[in-house]
Amino acid sequence: MKLLRGEITKLLFQKRTYVGWVGLLAIPILIVVALDLSSPSSRGGDGGPGGFFILASHNGLLVPLAAIGALTTFLLPLLAAMAGSFQLAGEAETGTIKTWLVHPVSRGGVLVSKWLVAVLYLLAGLALVAASGYLVGVAVFGAHAPALLSGGTVSVAHGLWLTLLAYLFVAAGMVCVLSLAMLFSTLTSSSLTAAIGTLVIFIVMQVLGSFSYFDFLKPYLFTSHLDAWQNLFQGTIDWGPLEKGLLAFFAYIVVSTVAAWYVFRRKDVLV
Amino acid sequence: MTTMPDRLSDGGAAARAAEEHPVVLATHGLTKSFNGVVAVDHLDLAVQRGDVFGFLGPNGAGKTTTIRMILGLIYPTSGHVEVLDHRVPQDKREALRHIGGFVEVPAFYGNMSARRNLRLMGRLNDVKDEKRIEEVLDTVGLLERADSKVGDYSHGMKQRLGIANALLHRPELIILDEPTSGLDPQGMKDVRELIRALGTGGTTVFLSSHLLHEIEQVCNRAMIINKGRVVVEGPVADLRPASSAVKVLTSDQERARGVIAALVGPQAVASDEGYLVVEGSDGAVREIVRRLVAEGLGVDAVIPAREQGLEDYFLGLTQSSDVGTHPEVAREKGGAQ
Repeated sequence: MKLLRGEITKLLFQKRTYVGWVGLLAIPILIVVALDLSSPSSRGGDGGPGGFFILASHNGLLVPLAAIGALTTFLLPLLAAMAGSFQLAGEAETGTIKTWLVHPVSRGGVLVSKWLVAVLYLLAGLALVAASGYLVGVAVFGAHAPALLSGGTVSVAHGLWLTLLAYLFVAAGMVCVLSLAMLFSTLTSSSLTAAIGTLVIFIVMQVLGSFSYFDFLKPYLFTSHLDAWQNLFQGTIDWGPLEKGLLAFFAYIVVSTVAAWYVFRRKDVLV
Repeated sequence: MTTMPDRLSDGGAAARAAEEHPVVLATHGLTKSFNGVVAVDHLDLAVQRGDVFGFLGPNGAGKTTTIRMILGLIYPTSGHVEVLDHRVPQDKREALRHIGGFVEVPAFYGNMSARRNLRLMGRLNDVKDEKRIEEVLDTVGLLERADSKVGDYSHGMKQRLGIANALLHRPELIILDEPTSGLDPQGMKDVRELIRALGTGGTTVFLSSHLLHEIEQVCNRAMIINKGRVVVEGPVADLRPASSAVKVLTSDQERARGVIAALVGPQAVASDEGYLVVEGSDGAVREIVRRLVAEGLGVDAVIPAREQGLEDYFLGLTQSSDVGTHPEVAREKGGAQ
């Protein structure tokens, strides 16, 4: 707890923390503005996040879903990669990690507290996306019983519940990115190297997932599960893809975090 | 020096603790090699309670590597460190409760004020007392700048903040890695006085430095290391052989040389810039002057010869330390390559 509190203090004193949050706040607003200004006929696309863009233009309550659909492609993974890499490698760059470690703390405790604070940062960011999406979306498009991708509607309360589940699912996917970044952050003392390494892996996975030749890999790439939350908005929910996605996320999170702990536990801190 | 009364006030407990743990810090066969290059080589040292222990060596001698191992930042290749009853690295967390200090340039969070940094670090040692934070900031002379961002601090100010952080939880052992580097002369003087005061107050200080005169000013015991090995160790007063040479100037140096040589032997007399330098003249000075006067020579001056340059002496020690390699060490070095 002492460690976590310390990490939160450190996080809140970093300017880049707020830069990321401002970006996340801005995206839903941009989406609403763009949807409101564009003519109804040009709102193309069907299914996927595109489907939510169409639905969101009639219902402010769906703006947060359109927003995370758009954010999971780049901004969220970027912020997750940064949140993970700045934790250890960033402190190695400034030398503060040695000051922190010469206090009576365990390496494992330091690692866990840093992982937790990065997760909290992401969750806070997602909460900001939802909040700004609801606020601006409802103000511009009004609040109606949410329509589903398959047609039909559900009650507002049920819609909010499904949105929360979708957000938690995306959060789990982003914790994968963050845990990978944390692992790289124990291997290098440059936070940029760790963040870029993580993003390279993320993008390579996305590329692999987009070719049917590599379909046999798809279940093992966490990136190909990131859109599985859309199954929540079908008439009858198909939980299969969601379960597979969570299982893949869990595997990536556990393996990266355990590997990070193994490296950091005996690492020579030479900064 | 606001730190002194804290330790003195609890004299009874300190005395009991001193009996239980006369040795506060010890290393046993401490060795560290990086990719086969030996940085610290079977280092054994013992620091007693209340010592201000000087850890001296040229740059690259292995001082900082040793300190990193003591603080648990890097792991020994072999051997271990003992702080009170706690082994490092195994028992690092317990050991670090009793230690305050820093290695190389102390690093702090640049976006925060000094006060906020100390609050943050203090919490890791359960120090929540704002007054204590004020106290240590005052001790190192940073109280006026306590609320400026550390990012705007000069090198010397960061150095002082590092010392403040080391003192914060009143540890029994303070480890300072070249704490006066980057300070102006007044700052150096302040820090040395502070270290002396800590020693007087009963705190054990482990001070690394490459400045021999600094060690002589503040330490009671010292060790000189070079290339990761101990060159010499002992009370500071014994580290440097005392020079008893005198310089003599008379009205006739040629005749005087003959007179003195007859007394102390010809090999003990040399000339230097017009003076006669008499080695090993312990107790013989009165006799020499009496004889010179008796021989009718005018004695213009008898002055102590310039002591051997401290830095020369230090250089001599650290350069000749290649000889006398322990056979075991030689074997290990060979094996590592």
